[in-house]
Amino acid sequence: MIKISAKNVDVFYGKKQALFNINLEIEENQVTALIGPSGCGKSTFLRCLNRMNDVIDICKVQGEIVINDFNINDKGCDVVRLREKIGMVFQKPNPFPKTLYENISYGPTIHGMAQSKQEMDEIVEISLKKAALWEEVKDRLHEPGTGLSGGQQQRLCIARAISVQPEVILMDEPCSALDPIATAQIEELIDELKKEHTIIIVTHSMAQAARVSQNTGFFHLGELIEHGSTDKIFKNPENNKTQDYITGRFG
Amino acid sequence: MNKNKEKLLAKRYSSEKRFQFLGKSAIFMALLFLAFFIFKIFSTGYTAFQKTWLIVPVNFDAETMYLDANPSKEDLEDADYFEISLQSMFNLDKNANEKQQNELKKMVSYFFEREIKQELINDPSLLGKTKDVYITASDDLDQVFKGNYPRDLPEKQRRVTDYQLKIFDQLVEQGKVESKFNLSFFTYPDSREAELAGIASSFMGSIFSILVCLAIAFPVAVLAAIYLEEFAPKNRFTDFIEVNINNLAAVPSIVFGLLGLGILLAVFQLPRSTPLVGGITLSLMTLPTIIIACRASLKAVPPSIREAALAMGASRMQTTMHHTVPLSMPGTLSGTIIGLAQALGETAPLILIGMVAFVNTIPGSPMDPAASLPVQIYIWAESAERGFVEKVSACIMVLLGFLIVMNLFAQIIRHKFEKKWS
Repeated sequence: MIKISAKNVDVFYGKKQALFNINLEIEENQVTALIGPSGCGKSTFLRCLNRMNDVIDICKVQGEIVINDFNINDKGCDVVRLREKIGMVFQKPNPFPKTLYENISYGPTIHGMAQSKQEMDEIVEISLKKAALWEEVKDRLHEPGTGLSGGQQQRLCIARAISVQPEVILMDEPCSALDPIATAQIEELIDELKKEHTIIIVTHSMAQAARVSQNTGFFHLGELIEHGSTDKIFKNPENNKTQDYITGRFG
Repeated sequence: MNKNKEKLLAKRYSSEKRFQFLGKSAIFMALLFLAFFIFKIFSTGYTAFQKTWLIVPVNFDAETMYLDANPSKEDLEDADYFEISLQSMFNLDKNANEKQQNELKKMVSYFFEREIKQELINDPSLLGKTKDVYITASDDLDQVFKGNYPRDLPEKQRRVTDYQLKIFDQLVEQGKVESKFNLSFFTYPDSREAELAGIASSFMGSIFSILVCLAIAFPVAVLAAIYLEEFAPKNRFTDFIEVNINNLAAVPSIVFGLLGLGILLAVFQLPRSTPLVGGITLSLMTLPTIIIACRASLKAVPPSIREAALAMGASRMQTTMHHTVPLSMPGTLSGTIIGLAQALGETAPLILIGMVAFVNTIPGSPMDPAASLPVQIYIWAESAERGFVEKVSACIMVLLGFLIVMNLFAQIIRHKFEKKWS
């Protein structure tokens, strides 16, 4: 099943074009990895999917991005609703400087998802359990989230993202600030999460892409060079540039 | 080659040493000036916190006061105290001629009648008896007792006559002169007589001005800063506004005073000399300071927090109100307090809107005429009497104390509530 399909997406930062005519389809309940060298536009593309580029004044997005038969670049699209459906995890863990509990309950609160304190407690617990953080933090839910280790903070951010039950989770190099053990935990988590969510992950590590994803797209200089199943991209790429990149000849 | 390298290294070390030496001497100089300044103020001003009293026996004679044996409270209020007050001063020297009697009367403040009256009202049983009463000495004798007055000047150049000095010295010998804590400096309004002048009016004036200033400047400045920083599009027009806010912060305060005079007093007809007008004028001055502080602390909130909130589906308003603004509040508040401290020390605009008027009542609201502490310093510094010299320094001490407390408060807020970004 196709969850998201991008058609002829162009992105401009002022006069500079950052993405050229991207066409990409993303499968539901699978992990899609976006790889490519720095500055190739993979993060820019990811940020198009929940319209985070709106924040940047000079950024202009053209083309169609259809999610659930609805073009999110339409004027009628409500970004607040959209971001409720499409969660995001950032490169650097960015928990709110509030308690763990408040970090998780923030999304459900603003979207009115819990009718009572009890329901909220449940949401917090489930989200933390899904993010494999519950056992570590259940005794200190009311301590500041910034007091956790880097890996725990990132899992907290994942728990925060899934607290509003998004259909899609965007991950922008979620492990680049973490050590190998924390990275392994997150990767395991991603595998678990794909049962309920569609995941798109931007990563610099080809090994990570190979480990966690079912589909891979390779970006280079703002163009989508090749995409397909991860197996095929890594074992039998069609394009020479892809071949060169995954074998480490550049990037 | 190697030698050259060593030479270069030695040069680098010596230049660093030179720089450190210059830095240290700069700090030393600054501290020296500060120490000198503080020493000067304290050494001149500390005597103002003491006041000299003459202890004079007063005969509360009912007949002289036109009172019967059992007067009611109203009778005591309405009684004539002038005669017994005058008489008790004359009694200090029974052989005084008329001119000398006049000089005797001038040895105490013109308040002496009221001080004697208060004594009887506090204790009506004194009627018909004689009691030693503390009476405020005149400011000249006050200065003589504190040793601030040169006694060796020729009599004509002194405000104290030889006769007054003679009687005063007799009193000192008898232990009838006492120096006590000068409570009236804090509880009395301004007066033309140095011994009775206090800072109550100007202190309250300052407090009311600052409150009015805070009430106007804080909400306006914070709203402006939040809108400019978080919502306004970045274009030429907002750049223009930003430049102008920065310019506004650099406008000399007297210009704001003229604005207050021309608009608040002339156009809106607000009452002259009041903390209300003073506060509004000061708020114009404080506005850019708070806007700049608030914007700086909004800018200091990491963008990742905004992104996190936006990505959770918070609207811009929610992102701002739930996350950015609370995180920026410590910086904003300490900037506000520093802006208020600046406003507190401002003199020129207040002079222009008439807060320099002689006010001998304590204001009960921002609508009553009042002075302010810095203007009080200005008024007293202009006065000729010796008694005001120490008062100027004492008033400076109070103002400095006020400012130190405010700045300390700002520091505490900043340190205690500011989030540390790891």
